Amino acid sequence: MSSSKTQTQIHRHSAGARKRWWVEVGWRYIIGLVMVLIVGVPVLYIIGVSLDPQGSTTGSSVFPSKITFDNYTTLLGGSKGPFLRWYLNTLIVCLVVTVLQIICSSLAAYAFSRLRFTGRRVGILALLLIMMFPNVLAIIALYSMFTQLGEAFPIFGLSTIAGYVLCLMGGALGQVWLVKGTLDSIPQSLDEAAIIDGASHFQVFSRILFPVLIPIIATTAMLAFVGIISEFIIGSMFLKSADSMTLAVGLYGLLQGDKTANYGVFAAGAVMVSVPVVILFLFLQRYIVGGAVAGAVKG
Amino acid sequence: MLLTSQPSTDPSPNASVPRERNTTLPGLITKIIFLGVVLAIGVYAVPLLIHYQMWMWLGIMVAAVVLIFVIYLTKRFIPGKYLFPGTAFLSVFLIVPVVLTVGYSFTNFGDGSRSSKEAMIAAVQTESFKRTPDSPVYTLAVGVEGGDVADGPYTLFLIAGDDPSQKVLAGRDGEDLAAWTGQAPTITDGRVTAVPGYKLLTARQINDAWANLQAMAVNVPGGSESGIKVQTPTQAYEGKSSIRYDKANDQLVSDSGQVYPNQVVGTANCFVAPDGKCFQGKSWLQNVGTKNYSRLLTDSSIRAQFLAAFAWTLIFSLASVGLTFLLGFFLALTLNDERVRGQKAWRAFLLLPYAIPGMISLLIWSQFFNKDFGLINQLFGIDVNWFGDQTLAKIAVILVQIWMGFPYMFVVCTGALQSIPGDVKEAARIDGSTGLSTTFRIIMPLLLISVAPLLVASFAFNFNNFNAIQLLTQGGPALSGQFTRGGTDILISMIYKQAFGGSGTDFGFASAMSVLLFILTGVLAAVQFRITKRLENLT
Amino acid sequence: MKRIAVIAAAAVGLGAGLTACGGQSPNRGEADLVIWADAIRTGALEAPLKAWAEKNGLTAVVQTVATDLQSNFVTANEAKNGPDVVIGAQDWTGKLVQNSAIVPIQISAEGVSQAAIDAVSYGGQTYGAPYAIETLGLFVNNALTDNAAPATIEDMVAAGQAGSAENVLCLQVGESGDAYHMQPLFTSGGGYIFGTNADGSFNTADVGVGSAGGIEAAKKIGELGAEGVLKNSINGDNSLQLFNDGKCAYLVSGPWALAGIREAGLDFTLSPIPGFAGLDPAEPPLGVQAFFVASNAKSPAFAQQFVNDLLADTTITRAMNNSDARVPTQDALAEQLKASDPILMQFLDLAQSAKAMPNIPAMEAVWSPLGQAEAAVVGGADPASTFEAAGKEIASSVQ
Repeated sequence: MSSSKTQTQIHRHSAGARKRWWVEVGWRYIIGLVMVLIVGVPVLYIIGVSLDPQGSTTGSSVFPSKITFDNYTTLLGGSKGPFLRWYLNTLIVCLVVTVLQIICSSLAAYAFSRLRFTGRRVGILALLLIMMFPNVLAIIALYSMFTQLGEAFPIFGLSTIAGYVLCLMGGALGQVWLVKGTLDSIPQSLDEAAIIDGASHFQVFSRILFPVLIPIIATTAMLAFVGIISEFIIGSMFLKSADSMTLAVGLYGLLQGDKTANYGVFAAGAVMVSVPVVILFLFLQRYIVGGAVAGAVKG
Repeated sequence: MLLTSQPSTDPSPNASVPRERNTTLPGLITKIIFLGVVLAIGVYAVPLLIHYQMWMWLGIMVAAVVLIFVIYLTKRFIPGKYLFPGTAFLSVFLIVPVVLTVGYSFTNFGDGSRSSKEAMIAAVQTESFKRTPDSPVYTLAVGVEGGDVADGPYTLFLIAGDDPSQKVLAGRDGEDLAAWTGQAPTITDGRVTAVPGYKLLTARQINDAWANLQAMAVNVPGGSESGIKVQTPTQAYEGKSSIRYDKANDQLVSDSGQVYPNQVVGTANCFVAPDGKCFQGKSWLQNVGTKNYSRLLTDSSIRAQFLAAFAWTLIFSLASVGLTFLLGFFLALTLNDERVRGQKAWRAFLLLPYAIPGMISLLIWSQFFNKDFGLINQLFGIDVNWFGDQTLAKIAVILVQIWMGFPYMFVVCTGALQSIPGDVKEAARIDGSTGLSTTFRIIMPLLLISVAPLLVASFAFNFNNFNAIQLLTQGGPALSGQFTRGGTDILISMIYKQAFGGSGTDFGFASAMSVLLFILTGVLAAVQFRITKRLENLT
Repeated sequence: MKRIAVIAAAAVGLGAGLTACGGQSPNRGEADLVIWADAIRTGALEAPLKAWAEKNGLTAVVQTVATDLQSNFVTANEAKNGPDVVIGAQDWTGKLVQNSAIVPIQISAEGVSQAAIDAVSYGGQTYGAPYAIETLGLFVNNALTDNAAPATIEDMVAAGQAGSAENVLCLQVGESGDAYHMQPLFTSGGGYIFGTNADGSFNTADVGVGSAGGIEAAKKIGELGAEGVLKNSINGDNSLQLFNDGKCAYLVSGPWALAGIREAGLDFTLSPIPGFAGLDPAEPPLGVQAFFVASNAKSPAFAQQFVNDLLADTTITRAMNNSDARVPTQDALAEQLKASDPILMQFLDLAQSAKAMPNIPAMEAVWSPLGQAEAAVVGGADPASTFEAAGKEIASSVQ
C-alpha cells in the first residue's frame, strides 16, 4: 500500500513533509471524522435511549442512566402491540411490492428502450408526469375504491395486507427511469446478435439483458424497499386492526398513543427496524454505488 | 432527463425490433395457464361485482381481462406485452384515483355533505325520533308466525317495564299496538320468552333483521301519532319523529311548525334554519361547478397562503437537492483520494443516514429539536427555539433533509468521479490547471451532466415530500393570522390539513387544491424536462 | 390463427376449471361487534368486552385506530366499512351528528352524572353512553414547593420560583398551542369561546376569543409567557415526563397523569387550578368519554345492546377502570372507588367547577386558531392583535 508507506515516511521525516501531508491528505481525515460524528451521534443517542429503561422524550442525559434490554423485551413481549406481526407484515409488503414494481418497471423499461412504437415518446412523458402525482392527495378516492373492492373481495379490502399492497402498486412504474437509463447504455449489438441467432424478444430480455441489469436492479430494489418501509400515511388510513399494521403504522401509533411512556420502546423499535436495512445496505453497497452511477451516467 | 434519448447508434426500426419466434412447448403451457388463471379470476369476479353493483370495478375487471387476451393471445402488440403489467396497475391505482379526485373538486364533498339528499333526510328522521316523555320502556320479544325469521312479517311482544300485571301487548307492521289476545305466552323476568305458534327471534336474528324491524310502523293508539321503535334486542320504546320531510315543498318541517326551506348557503344547497345556517350543519353531496376553484382564486387569505406555501415548497425542494448535492460532492472529492485509507469503511459509515428508514429518522429528529430538552440544544449548550420560529424551523427542516439526503449524493458523486477517466484529469494537469480549477472547470461540469437526472428526480420527490414535513414539524410553527398554513407547510402538507385537519374536513375544496398542485407539478416537470434536454444536447 | 384458437380454448377450459373450484361468496370475516378506540382505551376495554361478548354468546373485538380516530370513523362509516361502536369525547357529538354518523341511544340516566349525559346530548337527543369524565387539576410536587394549594396564579408562581424547581409550571402549550389545557387560564382571565343564547344553546355569532375578556386573558397569558412560567418548549410529549422527573413544581393535567406520577414515586398533592388574582375563578374544561353507536353499524342490535348494558351496572366500567383509571360517571362506581383511590376521586370534586366544552361542530373551527393564538402570545406575540385575528378567523369559519 503506497499510502501507508507515505505515512510511515512522514512519521520518520521532516516537519515540512508532515505539513505537506496535512495540506494534501490530513484535512480529509478531519472532515471525514466530523461527518462521522454528525452521522454517528444521533444514531448512538437513539441506541442509548432504546437501552435506557427510563428512555424519555425529555432527553435527560446523552448517556443512558443504566443499560437494560427492557424496552426490547416490552416490545417483543407484545404488550404494546404485536410487534413481530408488524415486522412480518412489513417484510411481506416491502418484498411483494418491491418485486412486482421491479418486474413491471423492467418490462416497461425494455419496451421504452428497445422497441419502437407509436406513442412511445408521448407515453414516456405522460408517465413522467403521472408518477409525480402524490397519491396522498387521492387518498379519499383510494379509500372509497378499496372499500368497494373489499366488499366484493374481502382479502383486498381495507385493513388487509393484500389490499394495501395493491394500493401501493399504483407506483408500479416508479423504477422505469433508472432501469431504462442502464438499458440505453447497453449496446444494441448485444441483442441484435441474439436475434440473429434466433432468440425471441422475450428471450433477448430475459436471457441477454436481464443478467446485465442485475446491479441496477439491486439498487432500485433497495431504493424502492426503503421508500415502502417508510410509507405510513396511506397505511394508517388503510390498516386499522393491530394484526394488519406495518411497522411504520404501528410505531407511529405507539408515539401518538403516549409519547412519554413509549419513547424508549419506540427507540427500541426504531433500532430493530433499522438494523436489518442498514446491514442489507452495506451488503449491497457495491451494487448501490455502481448502480446509482450507471443510472446517473445515462439516466 | 435523458428519458427519450434514442440510443446513440439507432439502427433502422425494423432491424432492432425482434420478431416473435416459434413458441416453445413450455412457453405455450405457461401461456395457457396464465390466460386460464386470468379468465378464471374474471369469471369469478364479474358476477360478484354485478351482485354488489360495483360498475367501476366491473369495467376495470372486464377491460383488464379483454386486454390481457388481446395482448397476450396474439403475436402482435409486442410493446404492449411489456407495458401492460405496469400500466395496468398505474391506471387502476393512480390514474383512476386522480380522475376521481378531479371529480370531487367539483362537488361540496366534506363534513355534513358526504351522503345523498335521501340518506340525509332519512338520517334526520332517525335522529329526531324522540321518546315520548314519561312513556314506559318495554321489554321486547320478536316473533314470526309461519313466516321466515329473515323477512317477517314480525310481531312485537311488549311488556311495559312499569306494569306490575305484566300485560302482554302485541304490535304488527301497519297496525295499532293492542293487548295480546292469542294463547298465553311464557314470561320470564318480565319478558316474553315463548309464544305458542310463534317462533321467537334470537338476538342474532334480530340483529340480522334490524332494517326490517326499524321499518315497521306500529302505532300507539291515543292520537299522539307515536309509534314503537325497537331499541335493542330486548327493549323497545314509544316516540315519534319530531321532524318530517315535506316533499311537495322540498323542505323540513318540525313538530312546532318551524320550516327549514331548501336554499343555497355558501356554495351549496341545504335546509336552512332560522339563523341562516344549515340545519344541524347538514347538507348533502352535490355538484357545485367551479365554485371551489373560484374560492381558491378569489379568497385573498387562501390565495396568499397558497402562494406562500408554494414559494416555500420551491425553496424547500431546491435547497434540499442543492445542499445535499454540494455536501455530497464535497465529501466525494475529499474522500475519493487514493491517499485516504479505508475508503470503503468511510463510505459504509456515511451511508448510514440513508439506510435508516426515513420515517424513523424524521420522528427521531423531531424530538432532537425541542428547545429545552432536545439533543441539539443540550449538546451544543445553546438555547435556540427551533420549532418556535418560522425561519429557524425552516432551517431545521432543511438540516434534517441534508442529514438524511447527503449520503445518496455522496455515493452518486463518488461513483461518478470514479467513472471520469483518469486521462481527463491528467490532461487538465498537463494543461497547467491547478487542483481547484481542475475541479471546477473540468470535473464539476462532467459530473453535473451525469448526475443531473438524479438531481431532477430528487427535486421532484422533495416537491411533494409529505413525510419530511408532517413527521418533523407537522407544518408548525403556527403563523399569526394564517390558520391553514403553518410556517413549514409545503403545499402537500397544507392541502392534507385542509382535507383532514382540525378545522373541519372539506374534501371538495382540498381536491381543487390538489388539482392545482397537480397542474403545478406538471408544469415543473415540463420545465425540468427542458432543462435536462438542454443538458443532454450539451453532451 | 389456428394456434390462437387452440391457446384460447385451452385457457378457457382451464379458466372454467379454476372457477369451479373457487366460486364461494365471501362473508364478513369479522366479529359480531367491532369497537374502534384509540390506543390507550383499547387495552382497557379488551378484557371486559370479551367477557360481555361471551356472556351474550357473541364475538367482539376492539380495534385501535392510531391516528385521527374521529375523521377515520366518519369516513369509514360513510363507506359502510366502519365499526359498530366508537369511543370518543363529548365534543365530537355535534360533528358526528352533522355527518349523520351516529344514532341516538336510550340509556337509563339513573345513577349517571347528568352533566356527563348533557355533554353527549345534541338537539335534544342523547347520543353517547358516557363512561368517564375528566377535567384538569393542579398537581403539586411537594418536594419542590411549600404551597400545595395556591389560591391564585400569582401565589403559585411566587411559590414555584421560591423553590428549587427548574420550571414553575408544566402546562403543555407547545408550538401550536393546546386550547384544552389553557382553558382554565383563558377563562380566569375573562375569556370564553361562544356566548350563550337565552335557551342555553351556544350563540356562534358571539365569539369570545377576540372580545375584551379574551384579550384581557391573552395579556395575562402573555405575562406568564414573558416570566417563563408558560413555555412553548413544554408540550404534550414532555410535560408529564418533566413533572415526573422532578423538573416542575406544578403540573396542569388530568387523571391520566396519575399512573405515571405514582410510578415515579413523587410526593404530590392534587389541588384545584387557581385563577388570576382579582379575576374570575379558573374554569377547567369538562371532558366526557363516551361510546357512540355508528349509523352504519353492521350489528346495530348488538351495538345498542352493548351501550345499554354498559351503564346498566358497573361490570364493564369497573373492569375498564382497573387498567385505565378514570373518573367514572356512575355514582355506584364512584362510591366504590372513593375508598380505593381517593386522589382519583378528587377529580370528581374538581369536575364540579368544570364546564363541558361546547359539543357543536363549530368547535372544530375553534381549537386550532385559539391554541395557536395562545401559543403565539406565550412566545411573545402581541396579545390584542393576535387574539383579534384569531377571533376573526373563528367567526369567519363558523359562518
